[in-house]
Amino acid sequence: MKSTALATFLLLLAASAQAQELAAGISRDAIEITSSFTGTDVVVFGAIESEVGDGLPASAYDIVVVIRSDRPHTVTVRKKDRVGPIWVNNETRSFAEVPGFYFVASTKPLKAIAGEEVLEELELGLDHLRLGPAPGTIGGPRTFREAIVRAKWRGQLYSEHPGGISFLSSTLFRTTALLPANVPAGNLKVTVFLFANGQVVEAGRSSTTLYIDKTGIERRLSNFARNDPWLYGLAAVILSVIAGFFAALAFRERE
Amino acid sequence: MQIYLPIAEMPVNVFVIVALGASVGFMSGMFGVGGGFILTPFLMFLGISPAVAVATQSTQIVAASVSGVLTHWRKGNVDFKMGNVLLGGGVLGSIVGIQIFNALRAAGQADLFIALSYVIFLGSIGVLMLSESLQAVRHGGSSVGAIKREPGGHFWVHGWPLKMRFQRSKLYISAIPPALLGFLIGLLSVIMGVGGGFILVPAMIYFLRMPTSIVVGTSMFQIIFVAAFSTLLHAITNQSVDAILALLLIIGGVVGVQFGLRFATRVRSEVMRLGLAILVIGICLRLGIDLVVPPLDPFSVVIEEKE
Repeated sequence: MKSTALATFLLLLAASAQAQELAAGISRDAIEITSSFTGTDVVVFGAIESEVGDGLPASAYDIVVVIRSDRPHTVTVRKKDRVGPIWVNNETRSFAEVPGFYFVASTKPLKAIAGEEVLEELELGLDHLRLGPAPGTIGGPRTFREAIVRAKWRGQLYSEHPGGISFLSSTLFRTTALLPANVPAGNLKVTVFLFANGQVVEAGRSSTTLYIDKTGIERRLSNFARNDPWLYGLAAVILSVIAGFFAALAFRERE
Repeated sequence: MQIYLPIAEMPVNVFVIVALGASVGFMSGMFGVGGGFILTPFLMFLGISPAVAVATQSTQIVAASVSGVLTHWRKGNVDFKMGNVLLGGGVLGSIVGIQIFNALRAAGQADLFIALSYVIFLGSIGVLMLSESLQAVRHGGSSVGAIKREPGGHFWVHGWPLKMRFQRSKLYISAIPPALLGFLIGLLSVIMGVGGGFILVPAMIYFLRMPTSIVVGTSMFQIIFVAAFSTLLHAITNQSVDAILALLLIIGGVVGVQFGLRFATRVRSEVMRLGLAILVIGICLRLGIDLVVPPLDPFSVVIEEKE
């Protein structure tokens, strides 16, 4: 796995020498979830081709690494309000386009790298996630969207790491992202942005996909649950009945 | 030891889940309740999504109830006739319940209505049971107290038509009250999302005046079908039954229920009623406190769909 990643990296570097200012790769391009999966690390690394284009020194560049779920979720937020002495769910809002996982690391705090409009357009930083309304709904005020970010942050699924990118040399950089055990299965999109003077430089964007999938029995079970829900439900009930039957039998023999 | 749950998409500690299944099973065997009202919040506390928690706990309840019913059946402690009448009413109740639930949702403030009626309902059952069982315990026997049954004595429901003989329960009463009771439980379980065992058990003891020894097995018999139906429904509509989580809960549950049954035989029936009263009041208090105490975070976030 490591040697392929390295090979990819070298290939990317070779390619970038001609056309790009930025080359980036990931330490592994696929993660298999097995029964012992308890989370994993992924290293994102790359190089800036300095003195290309506008001829700035490498130190004038800033880098932002974003890892986010490819497929968004639909999320419902409920807000409790006071009715007399009682707290009860009052307002309910639905949001689509909610990434299941979101990680952002940058060389400097994001606000020092680019202006508000740029961060918003590229959805960089937890404050700038769009979290649009679910189809046919009106979305919700900022407090509702903040609640989503807060809940995901608590579950270690959203994180922001200003200064979380380290330089190995003046042009080589790397950052490590923790994928927690509850990371949703599905593909992650890893994007590296190269900024100069508050803007993404031309060709300063590099994207790769990190595949996360269940394997073995985990994969077979979730496919079964999805493809044959009737059979799966029946199997669950039958299994329960059999287990109950055998327990009753076992305890009778001991009497 | 951690194991990854394929549907919940997160790992859990194997021993914590087996122990949870066993303790809820124990309680189930003692009182004849399903225990979903404890399992679901605990699984959610471990970080499992509400959809998976609700769907998966029902498999544990099926397994524990089958285990318990078989043992009770051998001792002749299950009134199948009564169970079937309750079930018949239950099916009708859940059909009507779905309509009411949708109507409440459409009218808004459904949550407030449900939460309040639940607390009031549980509170009154709990307090009534507590005062009766305390009195019985103090007088040292079930022959004294509110549920005294004189041979040939008449209770007000005895005058109703459609009389049926429930041999196991030693009752010759109209089929309407148990069917009505089943209907109510079916209604409640749909609206409130619980199996209703802790309402059914006291109702069978005090309202139908069944012997406490028959109540537990008969309640469990009824619960098997409710929980099995719930498992199927969740598997088909939400695909949220986690087989690995279910397996761990079941292993604990089927064993726990056997210990609960044994423990129950060593305890006098009024003490068992006292225990159930305390349990019902406990649930009521927890729900009541949740309603009154300002929430740490007034927002709750639920993932609707993953596709």
